[in-house]
Amino acid sequence: MRIVVDLNRCQGYGQCVYLAHEVFRLSGQEALTYEPNPDEEQRLHVERAAAACPVQAIVLDRLDGTEGSTTP
Amino acid sequence: MVEETPWQQALRYANRANPYPFYEELRKTPVARQPDGTYVVSTYREIVALLHDPRVSSDPKKCPAPGAARTQGSGEPAAEPIRQVLTEPNIIISDPPEHDRDRRAMMPHFVGPPPAPRWISDLEPEIRRIVGGLLDAMQGKSRIDAVDAFAYPLPVTVICKVLGVPLEDEPRFHRWIETALDALDFGPEAASEEIQSRQAEGRQAVQEFGRFAAELLDGYARQPGPGMLSALMNADGQDARMSKGVLASNALLLIFAGHETTVNLIAHSVLTLLRHPDALEQLRRRPELIVPGVEELLRFESSVQFWHTRSALEDIDIAGTTIPKGAPIFLVYGSANRDPERFTHPDTLDLERRDNQHLGFSQGIHFCFGAPLARLEVQVAVGEFVRRVRGPRLVEDPPPYRHNQIFRGPRHVLVDIDGISA
Repeated sequence: MRIVVDLNRCQGYGQCVYLAHEVFRLSGQEALTYEPNPDEEQRLHVERAAAACPVQAIVLDRLDGTEGSTTP
Repeated sequence: MVEETPWQQALRYANRANPYPFYEELRKTPVARQPDGTYVVSTYREIVALLHDPRVSSDPKKCPAPGAARTQGSGEPAAEPIRQVLTEPNIIISDPPEHDRDRRAMMPHFVGPPPAPRWISDLEPEIRRIVGGLLDAMQGKSRIDAVDAFAYPLPVTVICKVLGVPLEDEPRFHRWIETALDALDFGPEAASEEIQSRQAEGRQAVQEFGRFAAELLDGYARQPGPGMLSALMNADGQDARMSKGVLASNALLLIFAGHETTVNLIAHSVLTLLRHPDALEQLRRRPELIVPGVEELLRFESSVQFWHTRSALEDIDIAGTTIPKGAPIFLVYGSANRDPERFTHPDTLDLERRDNQHLGFSQGIHFCFGAPLARLEVQVAVGEFVRRVRGPRLVEDPPPYRHNQIFRGPRHVLVDIDGISA
């Protein structure tokens, strides 16, 4: 799967890191780094992370080819 | 008698089950000065702006208590034993830099040492086991209380484990919390004999709760044990150790906020889904909708309806009003989450709602510390309830509500059921 984080929106709340720690990481106090093409087995974790983002900065691809930030 | 403002009406106990029509009225004046001098902010845009405004303090010491403002107007005194008794700061009532230092010191013990904060997700099997046990215990029953038998036991068990609070102490701190919450009132009923008569007990409950937290920490200082409180008490190295008083105040906050709000969210989720059979059915067919669904439930019935310790450090011009320096500011999250300027059809429950940037956990530096844990608990609990409980029907609608206005939730949610699936 493919994900994009809008780093202009990201404010370093870190919610994604707790929910999908294999995919998202905070380096230092607030800089977010992430794996843009995580394994499909991470999908549930990534979907949880995207839904939890307080500023809705995480966009993930959908099976039907459209994009959405919170729903599978 | 002067006519009550929409805010005062929203706070009346009779309107606890449905404050939303009063919030709608309130939003016509986004920043509304109340007779007691409090500025109540009810619209999404203005609340978000103030949550990110460094001229807004969360420290009650920087704000004259609502009682001081009372003398200026005809408002009634707020009844607030927690502010009167809690002398040491914790992270929800402090400002930078102390807030940032203490929150940073606490965070690693909550989520595990960086760079692998997996503490929360590792709790999932345990949460599933507890939820499974609670649902198993409903076998053979035709009527259950979704609060006492489901919404309450899960979060309290989990927070005790996470923090290292003995579960056998639950009846004691449960009583203290109930007593303190029942004595807290910001509305026209605060002056009533009934609420005033609860003040002494409320103060005593907070004091006993504080002593309990301090003794627990003392115990862990002598003999380290499992959980976050022991880790915090025995922390050294680069994390600045908090003073014992501050740590005890934060321990009290974590015990309380670590379950109370989650109880109300689970109870409200069950209640809301039973009121919306289509959404319930949708969730049965597509269990994965629990993830966006919990976000919508957080928006729809927010566990923290407003927050009451903020104040203006300077004059703040907002939405055509000037909030004067020193004035108390209440941010009404429960209203922002129903603001039609931000959410399309805000009074409609939509489990697939897009762009759901709700304020159920607030925003800014005081964003809910326990949000990742709460989300996991509620996703598992509500997901399993929907999957396993056959034919759930509300017995009473609206159900009886608890007294508290900030931590709003039903006292009981009686549900008739046909059975429990495997």
